[in-house]
Amino acid sequence: MAAAIIRDAGLERYYEYREEYAPRPGPLRPGWDAVPVTVCDDGCAEVRLVLDGLRCASCVWLTEHILQATPGVEEATVSYATGRASLRWDPETVDLGTLAGKVAALGYRPRLLGEESKPDQGLVIRLGVATFAALNIMMMSAALYLGWVSAMEERYAALFRWASLLLATPVALWCAEPFFSGAIQGLRNRVLHMDLPIALAVAVLYVHGLVSTLVGADTYFDSLSMLVALLLAGRMLEGRGRRRAAEAAVSLAAALPPTARRRVGDSVEVVPAEDLVQGDLIDVGAGEEFAADGVVADGEATVRLALITGEAEPVVIAVGDEAVSGTVLVDGALTVRVERVGEETTIQRMAADLRAAADRPVRLSMADRIAPWFTAVTLVAATLTATGWLLAGESGTALRSCVAVLVVACPCALALSKPLAAAAGLGAAARRGLMFRSADGLLDLVDVDTVGLDKTGTVTEGDLMVVGADDSTLRIAAGLERFSMHPIARAIVGEAVERGIPLPRAEGVRETIGRGIAGRVDGADWELLAGGPGEVVLRNREGEAGRIRLGDAVRSDSSEAVAQLAARGLDVVLLTGDHKDVAGRIAAEAGVTNVWADVDPAGKASWVRARQESGGQVLFAGDGLNDGPALAAADVGVAMGTGAASSVLVADGVISTRSLKPLVSGFQAASACQRAIRWNQRRSIAYNIVAVSAAAVGLVNPLVAAILMPASSAMVVWGSSRIEASMNGGRA
Amino acid sequence: MNSIFFLLPIALILGGIFAALFVKAARDGQFDDLDDPPERMLHD
Repeated sequence: MAAAIIRDAGLERYYEYREEYAPRPGPLRPGWDAVPVTVCDDGCAEVRLVLDGLRCASCVWLTEHILQATPGVEEATVSYATGRASLRWDPETVDLGTLAGKVAALGYRPRLLGEESKPDQGLVIRLGVATFAALNIMMMSAALYLGWVSAMEERYAALFRWASLLLATPVALWCAEPFFSGAIQGLRNRVLHMDLPIALAVAVLYVHGLVSTLVGADTYFDSLSMLVALLLAGRMLEGRGRRRAAEAAVSLAAALPPTARRRVGDSVEVVPAEDLVQGDLIDVGAGEEFAADGVVADGEATVRLALITGEAEPVVIAVGDEAVSGTVLVDGALTVRVERVGEETTIQRMAADLRAAADRPVRLSMADRIAPWFTAVTLVAATLTATGWLLAGESGTALRSCVAVLVVACPCALALSKPLAAAAGLGAAARRGLMFRSADGLLDLVDVDTVGLDKTGTVTEGDLMVVGADDSTLRIAAGLERFSMHPIARAIVGEAVERGIPLPRAEGVRETIGRGIAGRVDGADWELLAGGPGEVVLRNREGEAGRIRLGDAVRSDSSEAVAQLAARGLDVVLLTGDHKDVAGRIAAEAGVTNVWADVDPAGKASWVRARQESGGQVLFAGDGLNDGPALAAADVGVAMGTGAASSVLVADGVISTRSLKPLVSGFQAASACQRAIRWNQRRSIAYNIVAVSAAAVGLVNPLVAAILMPASSAMVVWGSSRIEASMNGGRA
Repeated sequence: MNSIFFLLPIALILGGIFAALFVKAARDGQFDDLDDPPERMLHD
């Protein structure tokens, strides 16, 4: 069926381009018609999907072309890095169900962002079966090897060999299938894939074993099954990393309310947000988000701009000020004249930029780069061995040594080098609170020389907090503010609860928007009023009774983290949209000397690019939607897990705790991981040189191979496990 | 020692049964998600 679709679309070239067989078509997800799609001005529908099962660049090429060739499809792009497809089509001509059906028929599983994806069950089953067979074959091989010492009757030896053949057959023919198909696809594309030498070794081992069993000679079945099991385990570790990467997809549409209250004469009507047009007047009340960008036409209110600017402190806006979509109205009420709607709004444009930036290209691993050389050298060595022994007139040894060379040259350890070390490195960083989407992100840390830190929510707590107040003032204020939802109120009540102050009862509480709160506590009248920036004043009849200073506090461990980053030779820079004096105070507290204040979101991104142009490798850590462009532009973007979901979307890594310390651990893990990969690769190449030489001169028999080959893999496992040890030892 | 001629096949058949059970468990999704379940009980 897939072949028919491909042919009908005139895309036979896919068969030349593809590197791997496409997976079997999966069951189609029912109910595609119910999927929420975005309808644009020109009547086209748009949606973004995740495609599971994309395994190579040619899969992407094929899917894009099939979709683009479908009548009614205006635009179809697929990203290999994220597995995401964005579609734009004319709903009059074609529906989403048909498009999803086309993709599913090719063998890829389309699903909505945020829907669960399933790991490759086939790989798990293959690994399980291979491990089962390997352990059983090893026991029988041990009996056979011991049989060399104390003579074993031939009928017992034959039984063990036939039983081993029985177990090794499914391993070679079915479990190792991914390596065969990878090698074949590589050959079709005239690329020597890492799978080729592996497939070659498995094939030689199996055919040799089959013939040896028939004639009653020694076999390499134990090496074969062990090899396949180890390589499958490595492949599964790699797959887990990539799958997680695609999961962080978040839709920003959630930040916009679905409906708005539109003024009609003296009345209001509730309309879908997308029906709003420029010039409409909408009412917005406390706790609501703005459905569109506009200008305040009436009223006064406090709004929280955290999503856009990243700053926690609410601001008061009044007639003539701009209201931005996606920000929250904290208290008060406004009538807003709509200026921009839908895709044109600030938040949607930022979201579009982020989505575009999230689709990044993939890189080739070092193992894949050296694979062609590896294969060539192995084949040359095998040929030379056979020729050498034949010239010496020993045809029996020629065959045995040639097989031994192909067997021991299997790049098992080399193929495991990166996935094992990367898994250990990612795990070590994750346990310390920094989670990376892929090993590449982690390894990029090694080359980073500049660290850009966002202020609010990254170096600081990101929430409005009480930074100075005496207990009695706080007690009265908390009593007044107890039931208010204002951020200042929550900070005051939170601090009082933290200090264990019992909250007094307040009576006759009146709240005035943008001004303050008043009421009776302990039989006296009190007023809590705004008093200068970051300060509220508590007053009674006699006058001022106390002040509470509020602000965004620097995290307790930020200065330690900054000092450790600087000690690693990194240039730490603080970037903020805030004023110079506030930024300077925070920077001094955190121990950062290099400060850029009054920087807007685009300014942060251009700072990153300027640093990169002057040859720097930049890490940027931030938390808000406003940090998105900088996170995407940076070589390594690290988002705070407590921040806006959208920043997580474009970042390479996420800090899961409210601290900057994981960043330091990340740098340690990265350098330990890179050292381990280099160590692994050097050792496995050295192993191959020694083993191939030994095999060429006829020193390797099945027992030697059975010891050498797992030993080389164990060496790689050990090399990778040192990452965690070196981090605990603090050497990194 | 002749007992090995029927004990070995029995051992392989038993092993095969367990391998088949493993395959069934994997198909049923037993190993689909190894990360969340241990943490899920903490979210309640």
